Amino acid sequence: MRKKTKNINIMKKQIIIGIMAGVISGFFASGGGMILVPAFVYLLNMGEQKARATSIMAILPMVIVSSIFYMKSDYINWSVALYCAAGGIIGGIIGAKLLKKLPDKILKIIFILFLIYSSVKMIFF
Amino acid sequence: MLEIVTGIIAGMVSGIGMGGGTILILILSLFYGMDQHVAQASNLIFFIPTSIAAIYINIKQKMIDFKIALLIGGIGSIGALLGSYLSKQIDSNLLRKCFGVFLAIIAIHEIYSYVKMYIYAKKRDNIDNKEIKDRRN
Repeated sequence: MRKKTKNINIMKKQIIIGIMAGVISGFFASGGGMILVPAFVYLLNMGEQKARATSIMAILPMVIVSSIFYMKSDYINWSVALYCAAGGIIGGIIGAKLLKKLPDKILKIIFILFLIYSSVKMIFF
Repeated sequence: MLEIVTGIIAGMVSGIGMGGGTILILILSLFYGMDQHVAQASNLIFFIPTSIAAIYINIKQKMIDFKIALLIGGIGSIGALLGSYLSKQIDSNLLRKCFGVFLAIIAIHEIYSYVKMYIYAKKRDNIDNKEIKDRRN
């Protein structure tokens, strides 16, 4: 009995996480991982690396659905998108290899500063 | 050419695991002055091949919880449909401002997790040191 309610609770959590990540993913066409990784870690007690890997796989179908929607709305600039994607593959390989070697702390600070700068500029200018 | 460089930067950032997509969108939107919807759409196309490469590597390393990935992916797709519908309804400039707010929230979350990680690591070090001391005694 107790196990059953526990399972239902986990199920509820998963549904809420999924819907939230999906809506954000569709609305901003990004940021699904920002929701999923912490949600997996804190709510489903997953390890950090596993959470990251699982989140990418979970986001892929959401992205495909949103892509179809954006495509139908004629928002896709193919030349820009494909060049970015080509660069992304190269960058992804470099990033994955660097993952273990880079100083996490400094990168995080640069990333945070960049985010703050960009958000201020986007909101107010 | 610039697009390729942007892609490389964003790909590296996502490889490191820090939201490459948001970086790509904000570079396209902020520095290239692209329409917010178009910038976001570019990220979707960008994500598909990069994520497939990442998934391939992750499957090899056995890092994926398939059950959760498929469940969340399925439920999330419904959410994504709703999200992209909402996104289409609003003006690009407003969407840009919303995105700015979203970035600010991410920044706050990152600061929080950074502080937490740092303090946690420090505390753990202290406990470790204390244990070592206790053992010596």
